[in-house]
Amino acid sequence: MRARANNYLVSAKANLRKAQVKALRAGRSQNQVVVRAWIITMLLVRAGLSSLKLR
Amino acid sequence: MLLWLTQVLATDIRAFNVFSYITFRAVLATMTALIIAIVLGPRVITRLTQMKIGQAVRSDGPQTHLTKKGTPTMGGVLVLLSITITTLLWADLSNRFIWVALMVTLGFGAIGWVDDYRKVVRGNPKGMSAREKLLWQSLIGLVAATWLAFAVPAPSTEKIWPLFYAWLQSGLEMNLPAKSDLIVPFFKNISYPLGVFGFIALSFCVIVGTSNAVNLTDGADGLAIMPTVMVGAALGVFAYVASSAVYSKYLLFPHIPGAGEMVVFCSSIAGAGLGFLWFNAYPAKVFMGDVGALALGAALGTVAIIVRQEIVLFVMGGVFVAETLSVALQVGWFKWSGGKRIFRMAPVHHHFELKGWHENQVVVRAWIITMLLVLAGLSSLKLR
Repeated sequence: MRARANNYLVSAKANLRKAQVKALRAGRSQNQVVVRAWIITMLLVRAGLSSLKLR
Repeated sequence: MLLWLTQVLATDIRAFNVFSYITFRAVLATMTALIIAIVLGPRVITRLTQMKIGQAVRSDGPQTHLTKKGTPTMGGVLVLLSITITTLLWADLSNRFIWVALMVTLGFGAIGWVDDYRKVVRGNPKGMSAREKLLWQSLIGLVAATWLAFAVPAPSTEKIWPLFYAWLQSGLEMNLPAKSDLIVPFFKNISYPLGVFGFIALSFCVIVGTSNAVNLTDGADGLAIMPTVMVGAALGVFAYVASSAVYSKYLLFPHIPGAGEMVVFCSSIAGAGLGFLWFNAYPAKVFMGDVGALALGAALGTVAIIVRQEIVLFVMGGVFVAETLSVALQVGWFKWSGGKRIFRMAPVHHHFELKGWHENQVVVRAWIITMLLVLAGLSSLKLR
């Protein structure tokens, strides 16, 4: 179970890295790519925190 | 509006009851505001570019800012659209605080819009005169402050007017209930009774002051919007505590029924702000202009008054305070000393840029400082 979860995590990280590289190649500035990744993370954290109450 | 719809549907399908929870609607409000801002963003930017609503840049400012000339401004319209649509969708529209928060935000946005329009479209570099701007800000600020003086201590919407009439009948001498006192953070037993006039004066200063402070801060890509998002989200936590009978009693805060809807409003500010940052991150594709900065500042001030956390707003918005103080000190010292300067340039973010910091470094460091200040503000929930 843990190995499976780890595999998902590794594949998610790889996908994120691919998306970042793709955005950089598409001509976006490094800072924009970074800040947009932060925004997505913040949103995911917000969704994660909502699980405290929503169940 | 959707809350009303889900309440109707919940009579047949119980699952729809989940929409009555403020926390659930707050999450949905964040997502909705963010999606609206990101989806509408490119269209708004294209439209602003077509209308040639481009930012003018100070020739005496940092040289690196000269490349920003012509970048579309008035992007605050995007933020306001996003906040308004989201709030109308997810908030309880019968709540006594939602409309005042929304009206103050849109009112200050309108002032900023006129100022931007005169500057950018009509080519008048002065825009709105300082006196005219302050007049309109004061008008909206005073009306909102007077309404809040009775809406905050009143336990429900129906009790606002009786409280007002009771104050009139007392010959304007009646004191407001203790929940409208000025709370001093980190102290359990210290709060100052303000009285009606004191409450109105303080609220007026908080709304107008915060609005102008955010406007002064808005001078680098992402500098104003991210602290606004962080402070707005933290005020949402205070609103949740103030609205809950259990948590407010446990944490020794005044219980303000109805303030919970401010969580939805704050979440929409956070979502819209993050959506705007998507395009405003260095190098910015759009600037918010006065239309966004004045409105967002006024919105933060209004929420802080409703949840009785004016001093905590002062702490959490330390970056806004520092920027405003830097301008006041610079101008004051310049006049006093006959032409000498404290900073290389004011507001203080330009000072650091002229010292050689990259714009992005100044912005991210201001975010880090705001994060620490917001944590300090949130710690006042428990530390007292």
